[in-house]
Amino acid sequence: MKVGDIFATYRKALSFVRRSYMLQMSYKFEFFLRLFFMFFNILTYYFVAKLIGTAGMKYLAPYGGDYFSFVLIGIAFSGYLMVSLRGFSESVRDEQMMGTLEAMLVTPTDASAIITLSTLWNFIFASFRVLLYLLIGVLLGVSLAGANVIGALIILGLTIACFSSIGILSASFIMIFKRGDPINMLFMSTSELFGGVFFPITVLPAWLQTVSHLLPMTYSLNGMRHALLQGYSLRELAPEVGTLVLFSAILLPASLLAFRYAVRKAKMEGTLVHY
Amino acid sequence: MAIETIGLTKTFVVPRGIGDLVRRRPAIAGITPVDGVDLSIGKGEVFGILGPNGAGKTTLIKILCTLILPTTGAARVNGFDLEKESGRVRESIGLVTTDERSFYWRLTGRQNLEFFASLHNFYSDDAKNMVDDLLGVVDLKYAADERFLNYSAGMKQRMAIARGLLNDPAVLFMDEPTRSLDPGAAQGLRDFIKGEIVRERGKTIFISTHNLEEAEELCDRIAIFDDGRIKVIGSPADLKASLGDASKLSDVFLHYTGKKFEERGGTSASGFRLNRRGFPHRGGGLGRRRGGV
Repeated sequence: MKVGDIFATYRKALSFVRRSYMLQMSYKFEFFLRLFFMFFNILTYYFVAKLIGTAGMKYLAPYGGDYFSFVLIGIAFSGYLMVSLRGFSESVRDEQMMGTLEAMLVTPTDASAIITLSTLWNFIFASFRVLLYLLIGVLLGVSLAGANVIGALIILGLTIACFSSIGILSASFIMIFKRGDPINMLFMSTSELFGGVFFPITVLPAWLQTVSHLLPMTYSLNGMRHALLQGYSLRELAPEVGTLVLFSAILLPASLLAFRYAVRKAKMEGTLVHY
Repeated sequence: MAIETIGLTKTFVVPRGIGDLVRRRPAIAGITPVDGVDLSIGKGEVFGILGPNGAGKTTLIKILCTLILPTTGAARVNGFDLEKESGRVRESIGLVTTDERSFYWRLTGRQNLEFFASLHNFYSDDAKNMVDDLLGVVDLKYAADERFLNYSAGMKQRMAIARGLLNDPAVLFMDEPTRSLDPGAAQGLRDFIKGEIVRERGKTIFISTHNLEEAEELCDRIAIFDDGRIKVIGSPADLKASLGDASKLSDVFLHYTGKKFEERGGTSASGFRLNRRGFPHRGGGLGRRRGGV
């Protein structure tokens, strides 16, 4: 890719973010309501953590021993999975339902770029939520003093690449079948239970832990907790980083191929804008 | 040639469910809205495709705009192959539809056009200047910063034309552009197409219409299109002359399709006040309407 192309993509990305921001801000009440109810969510886990106290120490020791810190990272970063899984398919569906997809697809901008850039605002909003979660967590006593920020950002980048691939696969299904996307259902239902969002996967029976090891969420949250709560070095984070690189290397090209196939199939069937 | 098609055919199969895909059940034959279409349209020509609802006009336009892939046949638009160079085709065309949902209703007219300009790779000041010019061309500068949801049907249609011109396309596709307009507004729009887009800008226009007078008034040549097939092509005058002096375009349609043409939409603009660009004055028709959709 040439420098000019990168610059053009950046400006196009800004344009998509600006559009999404303006649309979001035309529903200000909903925007602030979402932020407001985030606090209740965090407070719930804060008091659950008080109730648990040191009872889960055996399982929580590898993450520093504090349940609130553990679950805060879990709920904050699992948001990226939700955005990735839902964001791409919802972008396709929203543009189909609003009627704007066809007008966008008749421009020189590639269909994959349109769908990818349409989700940017969701990722920005998710990042804003993560920052707020962490800020509130710190105010409630979570210590991020020794955090390895570089390590956390690497894990975050790989997490987004990995989860986005799954999201693009999900969008491919929506493009062809319109509803009933199995990828979304599979990952949404399994990741929270087996991915270690609310409790360490060591709580699960050994045979169920096998399922956990097949999910990118497990490595993403493990890496993020180790980087932020315990300040693991990049060398110590290597197992999680390596596994996420592997997941991304397989899932990203596969998802882009699937999406290209889905767009071609929808164009062949004339169902590009059907929903 | 601006547009050239050879044996262009589209057959839609009945949509299959996931079970059929898994079982690799063969596709079921469906309808063929475009059937062996051969066309040669010159640069600067206004070419109309005239046919009843369901004739396949929109499908043909969508194929030529790369939104639907043809089943068989080939086509070139502005010299670019429809399948192999679809990106280049899209760079050189504009599409004007009557679907008012194709805009973001909660954004202003200006915000909408600036966003779509970015999809054509125009950004910042370039985009702003171009959008400003186009808003002037379609006489919507006065309402540029109002939300699209407050626009009248005519204003929305003018926005669609402005969007179609964003990339200064060599070929402009217009799918029944006057469908949702009242007679006066429709006449204003036709005058605008003739004056601004054809005479001033010299665009090639491929227009589908359901309106005989519109076809006659705007088009250098028309194709009578029915059941996915082109029945005849010629200038409105030649087609009428071929059937005798007193013939009308509706007679031509009846002659070649065996069907009576049931027209939609009005045509008269008598008594309508037009502004300098040929649009009805803001007070009526395409003019400003506040509060509500």
